[in-house]
Amino acid sequence: MTQKIIAKEELYKQLNSLAKDFEIIGPKDLFNKGFFYERLDSAQELYLGEGFTTEPVKKFFLSPSEWLFNCQYNNGKNSLEELSLPDKKRIIIGVRPCEARGLILLDQVFGSQGYKDEFYLNNRRRTIIIGLACAKPDAACFCTSLAGSPVESRGMDVIIFAKGDEEFILEIVTDKGKEIFGALGQVLNETEKESHALEKEKNKELVIPKIKVPESLCSIFEDAYWQEVSRACLDCGICTFLCPTCHCFDLVDEQRKKLRCYDGCAFADFTVEASGVNPRPTKKERYRQRVFHKFEYFKKNFGENLCVGCGRCIRHCPVKIDIREVVTNIPVTENK
Amino acid sequence: MENVYLPNLAEIVEIKQETLDVKTFTLKFCDEAARQSFDYKPGQFVEFSVFGEGEAPFCISNSPTRKPNIECSVKRTGKVTEALHELDIGDTVGIRGPYGNGFPLEDLKNKNLLFVAGGIGLAPLRALINYCLDKRDDFKAITIVNGARTSKDLVYKAEYEVWKGAKNTQLHLTVDCNEENWTCMVGVVPKILEQIRPTCQDSVAIVCGPPVMIKYTMPVLLKLGFCEPSIITTLEMKMKCGLGKCGRCNIGPLYICKDGPVFNYAQVKNFIHQ
Repeated sequence: MTQKIIAKEELYKQLNSLAKDFEIIGPKDLFNKGFFYERLDSAQELYLGEGFTTEPVKKFFLSPSEWLFNCQYNNGKNSLEELSLPDKKRIIIGVRPCEARGLILLDQVFGSQGYKDEFYLNNRRRTIIIGLACAKPDAACFCTSLAGSPVESRGMDVIIFAKGDEEFILEIVTDKGKEIFGALGQVLNETEKESHALEKEKNKELVIPKIKVPESLCSIFEDAYWQEVSRACLDCGICTFLCPTCHCFDLVDEQRKKLRCYDGCAFADFTVEASGVNPRPTKKERYRQRVFHKFEYFKKNFGENLCVGCGRCIRHCPVKIDIREVVTNIPVTENK
Repeated sequence: MENVYLPNLAEIVEIKQETLDVKTFTLKFCDEAARQSFDYKPGQFVEFSVFGEGEAPFCISNSPTRKPNIECSVKRTGKVTEALHELDIGDTVGIRGPYGNGFPLEDLKNKNLLFVAGGIGLAPLRALINYCLDKRDDFKAITIVNGARTSKDLVYKAEYEVWKGAKNTQLHLTVDCNEENWTCMVGVVPKILEQIRPTCQDSVAIVCGPPVMIKYTMPVLLKLGFCEPSIITTLEMKMKCGLGKCGRCNIGPLYICKDGPVFNYAQVKNFIHQ
C-alpha cells in the first residue's frame, strides 16, 4: 500500500480538475443543521473536520426513493417503460470507515446469494470512495466493538488521514484509487511511516468499547425485556433511516411510476396485513425485530452483525434509546 | 439491465366469481415468450400489480400441468385487491415471479395425501390437488377436507364433482354451522378431522387456512399420529419484494417469501403460534 503526504490544496485541486469527468460528493457543514453529504461545485465547500454527517453515505447507493420503471397507459393499453441507469461517474470523499463497512454489508444484501440489484450495484460500480479516517470519535461511536476500526480502509479506494489543518496522509487502497490519485503527493519516508502507524494505533484506542454482543439471542425472544427497552420508542423510524446498514423498503405506485422507498421495521404499519392482522403489533415486537435482525438473523444468514457501530441511532434518537445498552444488557440465559 | 422488479404484462382472459368477495382471474402473458417460459411449482406465488394502485402477492391457484395461462384467486380485502376486483376481461396487470419454494413434490410421491383447507386457504392447495390428480399414479389415497364459514364461502365449487369422482379420492366438505339444504358435514375443520380420523400411515398432511384453523388443526393432526415433518403448511405475511429483501415477512432468520411460503410444522411451530 502506497502512503503519501499531500497538501490539502493539492488534493482539492485534483478533485476540482476531476470534476469535469466525475460528480464530486462530500460532507458540507450546514452550520446549525449539521453535516450532510451533498454534491459539490468545488472541493473548497468540503468539510473534513470533526463530527459526523447526520445521514450516512447509504443514500447514494440505496436511494431513499428509487424510480424502478414506468407504466404508460395509452389507448386502453398498459405498456412498461424501462429506465436507463445513471452512468455518471462519482467520487465520494469523506466517507468514514464505519460507513464504508456498511456498504460492504449492503453489498451482501443486494449482490450476493443469487440476488442482483442492478440499481444498487450500478451505483457501487460508478463510484470511487475516498475515505476519511476518524481522528476523534464521539461519545456515540463504538466501531471497534463490532470488528471495525476508525482507521481501517475496507470498502474504500483511497483513505486519507488529516495531518494538522493543511495536510493529509493518503493511502491508496485499490487500483481505481491509484488511477486518480496515484500521481499525487510525496511518498512517506521510514520515520514518517512509523509515526503514521503509531498515530493509527493511538486513534483506535480512542473509541470506547461499549457493547458486548451475546453469541446468540434466540433464548430470550419472548422475554419481557423487550417491552421494557422499547417502552420509550416513538416508532419514529429515525434509527432505521439513518442507519448505514438498514435497508428495508417499500414498493410504491405513484401514478404511473413504480418507486422503491425507504421503510423500516420501527413503523407500526410496516407489517400490517390486509386483514388487519399485524404480526408485530406493539413496539416490543418491532424493536426486538430490529435488534434480532442486526445481531441474530443477519449473522445466521451472512455471518456478520448488521451493525457497524457508527452511533447515528444513538445520536439522533429523540428518546435516547442506546442500542449499546440494549444489546449489552440482554439477559441471556442458557437452556431457557 | 436486469430489473428484478419489472413485471411481465398479462391480460385478464377470464374472471370467475367464486364467492361474494372472491374472484378467480385467469391471466395470459402478453409476451408469447414469457408465456412459454413461465414455469412454476404448486405452492409458489406471484407479485400481482395493478398499475397505479400497488402490488400484492397471490399464490398461483392452478396446477402447472394446466399451463400456460395462470390463475389467481383474490379475496377483496385491501387496496390492491379492491382495485383488482374492479378490473375486466381484457385489462392488463403486471405479474412477476414465480417466487417461493413451492410444495416438496418429491416428498409427496407414493404417499397418502391429506389436504386440509379453510376458506380461501384452498387456493394454493387446489394447485397441488389438481397437480396430483393429473399425475394420479404418483400418489396413494387423496383425502380432501375443505371447510368454510358458510356454504356461500366455499371456493372452486365447480371442481368438487371432479375431485369426488377421481380415483381413490375422497372429498369432505364442511361448514361451521348447519344450513338449510346443506347435505355435507357440519363443524369446524379440526372437529371434522377428529370424526373422519384419516390415517397417518405413510401420509403427509397439507394444511392451509386462517390462523385460527391452523392453531386448532395442528394438535389434532399430531394426536392422529402425524409427525411434525409430515405436516406441511403454507404461510402468509405482508410481502412487498418477494425476494427476501424488503424486510416484512422475516420471522426468525427466515423470509416467508424466499425460504417459504411452504414449511413443515417442525420448521415453524415456534413462529406460527406467536
